[in-house]
Amino acid sequence: MEPASSHELIDHISELRLRLRAGSLAGLLAEAGHALAELQLRGAEQTAPAGSKRLQVTAPDRDRLLVDWLNELIYLAEAERWVATEFEIERVTTQSLEVRASGVEVPLPRGLVKAATMHGLRVHDVDGRVEAEVILDV
Amino acid sequence: MSADIGYPIVQIDPLVREIPSSARDDMRVPVRIYADDELWRQIADDRSVEQAVNVATLPGVTGCVYAMPDVHEGYGFPVGGVAAMRAADGVISPGGVGYDINCGVRLLASELELTAARPHLEATVHDLSRSIPSGPARHARLDLGTAELDRVLQEGCGYLLELGLALPEDIPTIEAAGALAGADAAKVSARAKQRGHNQLGTIGSGNHFVEVQVVDEIFDADAAGAYGLHAGQITVLVHTGSRGLGHQVCTDYVRLMDQVMSRYGIRLPDRQLACAPLSSPEGQDYFAAMCAAANFAWSNRQAITHSARTVFARAFGEAGKLRLVYDVAHNIAKLEQHGEKRVCVHRKGATRAFGPSHSETPERYRAVGQPVFIPGSMGTASYVLAGSDAALALSFGSTCHGAGRAMSRGEAKRSRTGAEVRHELERQGIIVRCPSSGELAEEAPSAYKDVERVVSVVHQAGLARKVARLRPVGVVKG
Repeated sequence: MEPASSHELIDHISELRLRLRAGSLAGLLAEAGHALAELQLRGAEQTAPAGSKRLQVTAPDRDRLLVDWLNELIYLAEAERWVATEFEIERVTTQSLEVRASGVEVPLPRGLVKAATMHGLRVHDVDGRVEAEVILDV
Repeated sequence: MSADIGYPIVQIDPLVREIPSSARDDMRVPVRIYADDELWRQIADDRSVEQAVNVATLPGVTGCVYAMPDVHEGYGFPVGGVAAMRAADGVISPGGVGYDINCGVRLLASELELTAARPHLEATVHDLSRSIPSGPARHARLDLGTAELDRVLQEGCGYLLELGLALPEDIPTIEAAGALAGADAAKVSARAKQRGHNQLGTIGSGNHFVEVQVVDEIFDADAAGAYGLHAGQITVLVHTGSRGLGHQVCTDYVRLMDQVMSRYGIRLPDRQLACAPLSSPEGQDYFAAMCAAANFAWSNRQAITHSARTVFARAFGEAGKLRLVYDVAHNIAKLEQHGEKRVCVHRKGATRAFGPSHSETPERYRAVGQPVFIPGSMGTASYVLAGSDAALALSFGSTCHGAGRAMSRGEAKRSRTGAEVRHELERQGIIVRCPSSGELAEEAPSAYKDVERVVSVVHQAGLARKVARLRPVGVVKG
């Protein structure tokens, strides 16, 4: 059985550092989505279930895959006011991701994130687990 | 030597410290930091110096990398950093401008005195908060179609003049007349346009705000006179940028440059510094998109100005007429001539501060220098400064941009509640409108460095000179 995934949101002087742990890359990317949803739905006055979307991301490497995945979700939250909350990873490699995500519509999200950055970006394997740190511009 | 930051420090004078280019093998130029001892202690406490050293490794960087006294740790570039790259063979870096392209400040001056305005201030601040959408995802009343948005991106404030959202006399008192000629709307992605099409005329979130202020003290009567400012006068300060459109432009081009850097043989100590030669197709495309996003930001502040003018006219009639003093960016990359050098100056959290003799200083301010605005945190004063000719040699004509964060947002929220911050501001006679108490706490004055100290350093160092202090009386926070 895969170890449980977890995330921490750590203060950074001007931004927010997201620390992730999971048993696999698929678990890590799903956990990153959960952490972002937690931020984006913080203080949201109301939400309504708003169906699911099939999302695809490609990147040159595993580190960038994490950043590009988060930036995909950030775009959807701001442009479509759709915050993904549940993730079914259909296919993942170090360079591509296919996800069926279900989400909620948020009329006035408070906790929007501007972007995921590559500053201090680390995705690494530790004792059979995958860990990552990424800084979010908030 | 300083053991604190891990690099040798040469004290040039009491306000200038230098890390020589020999401090690290990959540095191409020195780093100079403007700070007094107290600000230096705060600067050495985070990773901003390390980040400035990383910037000093970029291909084509010239002169020095400068850190302003409000510098603090960012991602890639430090916030409060200035770096010039040779236009011919240097790079351009989206991270050197940041996600909020052309975040900047605009000052509007009324002919109202505080004594006359005070009975109507609460209603006026409330009306501003209703008329100017604030918060991260608030949409504007103005929803632009594709062709209209492209004209904003291409023509900036000139197009807003055509829409009736600007006055002819506004245009010469905006940096670059509110439109950078290098803009190309076609280089802005559909995603960026989707994020920005309904955000023109909105404040956004974070430390962005519209503030009603009173001119509290004049330090330089000549410059204040040239800017049309006098003690007791009501002003409005607008601090915001290019909103989601700019964020997406940065995201798109950091991604692109990260992909192509190896093609140009560029190796970096931090991936967020992703860059490409300015002369390359990718560098040219980013520059065109960045200019377009900058035009969007000037237009955003112009649309907010139109809303503020409507509110002030409703409240005060003719006396509430708001004149644009100036509008200046503090997150931008500009092509500039410095002596014999044609350079691309990256200012991230730093403000252009050209002096009287510079051709880009508006004609009406040629006797005193370009106005510079340094917003304080909520509840603390903001400053009007004048650019100096000396700053050209000292910092590529740049100065600070604000107080600079001293505390993370989380730490700020843990130290004070939003309600406490609100009550404290109200006790000082400051009317506050903010949709979220949590965000009010994040931007508490105690979360920022002492703006008076920051301004004092740039004044003493000759980067800009103090003209006037503006005290807040009403805040509409994003």
